[in-house]
Amino acid sequence: MEQVIRTRGLTKDYGSVMALDDLSLDTRPGMSGLVGANGAGKSTLIKVLLGLVPPSSGEATVLGLDVIKDAAAIRARVGYLPEHDCLPPDVSASDFVVHLGMMSGLPRVAARERAAEVLRHVGLAEERYRPMGGYSTGMKQRAKLAQALAHDPRLVLLDEPTNGLDPAARDDMLGLVQRVGQDFGFSVLVTSHLLGELERVSDNVVILDSGRLLRASQTRDFLDATGTLLVEVIGEDAQARMGHALAAAGVPVQARGGLLALDPDPELGVDVHDLIRDTAFDLGVGLVRIQADHRRIEDVFADA
Amino acid sequence: MPEVPRTGVIHDLGYRPYDGPRNGSGAIAWALFLSGFRNAFGLGRSGKSKVLPFLLLGLNLLPAVIVVGAMTLFGLDELPIDYSRYASSTQILLSIFVAAQAPVLFSRDLRHGTISLYLARPLSSAAYAVARWAALLAATLVFLLVPIIALYVGAVLSELDFWEQTEGAAKAILLAVLLALGLTGIGGLIASVSVRRGFAVVATIAVLLLGNGVVTAVQGIAEVQGEPRIGEVAGLFSPYSLYRGGMAALTDNVALTPPTGAAMTAAYFGVMVLVAAVGFVGILVRYRRIAGR
Repeated sequence: MEQVIRTRGLTKDYGSVMALDDLSLDTRPGMSGLVGANGAGKSTLIKVLLGLVPPSSGEATVLGLDVIKDAAAIRARVGYLPEHDCLPPDVSASDFVVHLGMMSGLPRVAARERAAEVLRHVGLAEERYRPMGGYSTGMKQRAKLAQALAHDPRLVLLDEPTNGLDPAARDDMLGLVQRVGQDFGFSVLVTSHLLGELERVSDNVVILDSGRLLRASQTRDFLDATGTLLVEVIGEDAQARMGHALAAAGVPVQARGGLLALDPDPELGVDVHDLIRDTAFDLGVGLVRIQADHRRIEDVFADA
Repeated sequence: MPEVPRTGVIHDLGYRPYDGPRNGSGAIAWALFLSGFRNAFGLGRSGKSKVLPFLLLGLNLLPAVIVVGAMTLFGLDELPIDYSRYASSTQILLSIFVAAQAPVLFSRDLRHGTISLYLARPLSSAAYAVARWAALLAATLVFLLVPIIALYVGAVLSELDFWEQTEGAAKAILLAVLLALGLTGIGGLIASVSVRRGFAVVATIAVLLLGNGVVTAVQGIAEVQGEPRIGEVAGLFSPYSLYRGGMAALTDNVALTPPTGAAMTAAYFGVMVLVAAVGFVGILVRYRRIAGR
């Protein structure tokens, strides 16, 4: 499959600080997540990929274009949502997106049409004619996303798109990001220092630590079912009674918050689901749910 | 915060990719120049931001309109104010214009972080800087040249000697271009290193008007004390005294301690070009640094 981002031995040192250290990675079309703590090199990587900062050594290509030789061509095909504020308060989102569309090479008329289109997609309706200084953080993030999509890029680099948003707005934003990748058909690289967010939206995840590649794989691989079952029961002292009964039946049980985590031995010889159902029935406790336990990206990060 | 419609009509319309024409760097830079030029006069911005530039533009043009009116009314046989003298007498308005509008083109993008969006687009940092610089230069030239052209048209329509008027206006335009280059370099450089608009305005006015005041004082003292050479050298340190020196060298207008001798005259024009070049290169270097951050 075609590679969207490809780096080989990419190194960037700012004097004493090693921002990127011999980084080799590939991302494929689709949604890619880039995870790392603050200072892990995420923003430096994006700057190198945009051709704004030359690498100290190594090479990188974006959409098959070299970051040093074809920087302008890359920037014409890539949309970028920076982490920090970048919106002038006295300009309306509509004017702003039109202008930046033109700065990406769209003729004026096309820029107007595209601005109306992307602002509609990010969910800015009548507000788009108001100065952006009066926008909520969520609306500002939408306007920032709109300018990144204005020129119909092939790849979108989203640097911490959920930064500073409350949980509801964060959810909306992630939904939008997901749509950009799935419905619009762009390749997306989205960074975050919150692993759980990327788990939801990305097909594959790259983890950076101090400028080095910690791990890169498909999100699916991170989240493979572990074989553990989680059981929730209600009733008087239900959890403890259920736990004892299951342990007596030969299934190792641990309490995990309000849930029971079961690690049945595959050799047990009985269907664990049936056993759980029957045990709950015998004890007279309410069985709320049985679910497979998936690993979370956090766990992978903790293992590494 | 309004709810985002994640389903329904908006979703169903679907995303349409764009496959129309795309402009190259030249057309993008031209678009940036044009929007910058318009912004310098508050066009394409809020109503409030049009007040100051147009007020200054009007005040700057007013004397020329009065002069032209008086010429036609009283049938004067020469212009009461010389073309190149005009910019010198309205230098306060000119300084305020440059000081107030340079930050519109340079500081705003830095203050609000919009610069990172420009830099993530096809234009290089140098092309961005040149487009911004050219927009400020063009706006300053409009400010300087409109009164000269008004005077010239008035003079020619009043049937003053055509060649004499053309020569005077041409010299004034040459001097105006040199002055505009210098002011753009100074105002642009100050605005591009200051994130705060207020600081840029105050610093630019200080450099232009206070600098001129100090130089003029030194020149006045030098003339009274019979040491014109000191005044001539002092004149090299402010764009307005350079302008007056150049004006005295090119035209019959009088100025305090005008440059004497070919070397000093050449130095005046040389420094004018140098100031413009240093400002221009400084702006380029500044944006190169910003891009690499």
